[in-house]
Amino acid sequence: MKLKFLPKQRSSEFPFTFGAPAIIWQILFFYFPLLIIVVTSFINISELGEIEGVTLKKIALFLSPTYMKVILSSMLLGVSNAVICLLVAYPLAYFMAIRGKKHKNLLLFLLIIPFWTNFLLHVYAWFFVLERDGFLNTLLLKIGFIHEPIHFLNSIFSIMVMMVYYYLPFMVLPIYSSLERFDSRLIEASLDLGASWFQTFRRIMLPLTLGGIRAGFFLVYIPSFGEFAIPELMGGDKYMFVGSVVSHYILGDQTGSLGAAFTVVACICLLLSAVGLFFLLNKIILPKRKK
Amino acid sequence: MRSITLKGLSKSINGGQIIPGLNLNIPAGKFFALLGPSGCGKTTLLRLIAGLEKADEGQIFLGDEDITELPIHERPVNVVFQNYALFPHLDVFDNVAYSLKLNKTPKKEIKEKVCKILQAFHLESHIYKFTSQLSGGQQQRVALARAIINEPDVLLLDEPLAALDFKLREKMLIELIELQDKLKTTFVYVTHDQFEALTVADQMAIMNTKGQIEQIGTPKEIYEFPHSSFVAKFVGTTNILSGKLRQIDTDPEIEVADLGKFKLSIPLKKQWMKEGCDILISLRPEKIFISKKEVPNFSNKLMGTVQSIVYHGRSTQYNVVLRNGLKLQVFEQNEEHFPQQVIDYDNEVYLYWQKENVVLLEK
Amino acid sequence: MKNQAKTAKIASVTLLLFTYLFLYVPIIVLLVFSFNSESFPAPWKEFSFKWYIELFHSVYLWESFLNSLVVAASSTLISVVMGIFLIFYALQGGRIGNFLSLFYGNVVIPETVLAVSLLGFFTLMSIPLGLTTLVLAHTVLGLGFVIPIVYAKFLELDPKLTEASLVLGASPIQTFFKVTLPLLRPSLISTGLLVFIISFDDFILAYFCAGSSSQTISLYIMSMLRSGVSPVVNALSAVLLALSTLFAVLFFSLKTKVRIV
Repeated sequence: MKLKFLPKQRSSEFPFTFGAPAIIWQILFFYFPLLIIVVTSFINISELGEIEGVTLKKIALFLSPTYMKVILSSMLLGVSNAVICLLVAYPLAYFMAIRGKKHKNLLLFLLIIPFWTNFLLHVYAWFFVLERDGFLNTLLLKIGFIHEPIHFLNSIFSIMVMMVYYYLPFMVLPIYSSLERFDSRLIEASLDLGASWFQTFRRIMLPLTLGGIRAGFFLVYIPSFGEFAIPELMGGDKYMFVGSVVSHYILGDQTGSLGAAFTVVACICLLLSAVGLFFLLNKIILPKRKK
Repeated sequence: MRSITLKGLSKSINGGQIIPGLNLNIPAGKFFALLGPSGCGKTTLLRLIAGLEKADEGQIFLGDEDITELPIHERPVNVVFQNYALFPHLDVFDNVAYSLKLNKTPKKEIKEKVCKILQAFHLESHIYKFTSQLSGGQQQRVALARAIINEPDVLLLDEPLAALDFKLREKMLIELIELQDKLKTTFVYVTHDQFEALTVADQMAIMNTKGQIEQIGTPKEIYEFPHSSFVAKFVGTTNILSGKLRQIDTDPEIEVADLGKFKLSIPLKKQWMKEGCDILISLRPEKIFISKKEVPNFSNKLMGTVQSIVYHGRSTQYNVVLRNGLKLQVFEQNEEHFPQQVIDYDNEVYLYWQKENVVLLEK
Repeated sequence: MKNQAKTAKIASVTLLLFTYLFLYVPIIVLLVFSFNSESFPAPWKEFSFKWYIELFHSVYLWESFLNSLVVAASSTLISVVMGIFLIFYALQGGRIGNFLSLFYGNVVIPETVLAVSLLGFFTLMSIPLGLTTLVLAHTVLGLGFVIPIVYAKFLELDPKLTEASLVLGASPIQTFFKVTLPLLRPSLISTGLLVFIISFDDFILAYFCAGSSSQTISLYIMSMLRSGVSPVVNALSAVLLALSTLFAVLFFSLKTKVRIV
């Protein structure tokens, strides 16, 4: 007895309409807007909003030392943030993945919760702690450790604290997943062959987890570069970073296109620095190749 | 239960031709085995029949129906995959019932059929378990049940027993034979293991590394009367000797350089058999009688030295070196606990065989 | 050697402790003082729900909260659905491979850049800023997660499963709904949760693309921050923290499900 199968269907080219939505959306709302700001940086817009011509004036404006200093500060912020996060995150991830196997899930869980809590709440929390009348100062005064409240806020210190605080999970998670896949027998083999802990770490673990380190590094560096909320809230208006300049121009009247131009300039610098850091990371971490 | 006919089937993958213009007829209702070395294209052929691959040229017929253009899900052909491909998100019941649930079969009927088939496969106690909770053998049976429950015309099996251990494999082979016998569905069993093929097949085909069919026949025909040295060497072990064909019409014999002349019997004279032409002969190790003493009544005799002995339990294998350096393999069944003569390393031995047990092959 | 290992262990445990302390002390402090009847910096007086009550009475707050919820839900839904469509297309043999890299940029570029470019886009197209534009913006972020993650998972699926389904008589559409989607479900849900949270917590895109009229929870907190420390915000923090914990629990229960998928 033959079972009746489904009637013939034109199962061939299921119209591209199915794949299209995502791609169209992406082009429309991601690439096209990016194109717009790039283009805007190069054209002159008159006061009436009409396009007048191509110009490099705006770009040139932002290549001046003042603005380059801002960009440099952002890079510095990004790199120092990434480095500090890396130094803290790696041992943490190592512990979670290789040593504390039993508590792995709990530790991950505890890491994710702050990660998933509203960013501004964290800012507020640190405000609460670091303010002049805040928790830390009150505590220290009470103990008698200090006699006058310390100005924690509005300093590089508070900015860095907040940056590391917020970006740490971004560094931990990729390194953790890289370490999770790491064959711990390799460590055993290395030790067995006579290498010390440090040598094993430097020669075996580090190179093999490069993928995770790289991912974490850039997941921290790139957003840190464009960060403006943290510096502004934790540092007052004392320090100028890319984010603050951009928001200042964008939200101001008539300066929208300047904001776009600066964004473009900053992005290019970001890209170049990222490429440079990429190779630097590789150079530092990977073993030297013998020619 | 319909037959499968392949006409001029060709398939290339990544520029390399896997199947070259193949013609094959698989008889209806029989257990057919496709045997060949790994990578020869037999899995590709199976996938072509199932519709999982599209042929570059040629046609596939199911009975009289041309199914070449028919999409996978419309062909009444089911596959049992090598790694079973059981759906991990469904339990045993849902896996087996999968094809039935596709077209409005009433729930009650589905339940009946599934329970019945699971009983036949001794899987009733596992009915609501998931794949990871089953052993290899159980998974295999679920895959089988799933593939036959909707009574396909053809069942394709792609090395289904490869992942099982030896004892389980032997058992499953017998079960498969009985199953096919009961269902009368056309089974096409693809494997590289000649033991499996010889055990299950009513008919089998040998495929060579170029994707061509070398020979088709019953297991016995293929084993005892291979048509080429490839088949002779691939199915079972054999000794191949080359030499010249002499005295075709009177008293045929093969003249082997440095060894001598050996008697042959030619049941059917073929076109290519000419006086003095180069030929090969295949002599199976179990057809050679080994002895330290001279024995009468054999058409052929050789002398040699025992180089190595391998004990196989049921039989003992002797590797004997001949005076011209050639090595012959001999199998002797271990019929007695305490054999009358013990053959040891470096012994001088006589090898005997009858001319009827030699197969002539074209060079 | 043993000593080396032991000191290493002690050092790493200490580091671990300090790190988690660093992560949690501010939050815990915040929580504790949300129950204080007196506003900080006044010392602890007595346990009180005062601020929570005030919180729940704030209309402004509820409006922001609801907005954030709606925006997060919409962007999650849209990006997940688009992801599903894309997978379906891939199943039919559509060529996705090359297109995939198109989506990597979304999470890599600084959010500020994305915000600026979208703002430019909206201005150019004369689209009024509001919750809709925010949803559009968040969906871009969402796609950046959904597509790479779910497609990667899709590629990991055993192709033999799809073949088995087809061979047994299921059409490509049936195969999609009966085999592919169920197998992708945990991944879709966990990615959906991720996108939801990211949208809900987002600040930068809201700051630039939501316009002056609409408020999300982030913007609400921001405005409260400007006016200094307030215990109502402490209370809000506690509530949001509870929510995040809930989501984390959901996420983890999905990961440790006994399915072999």
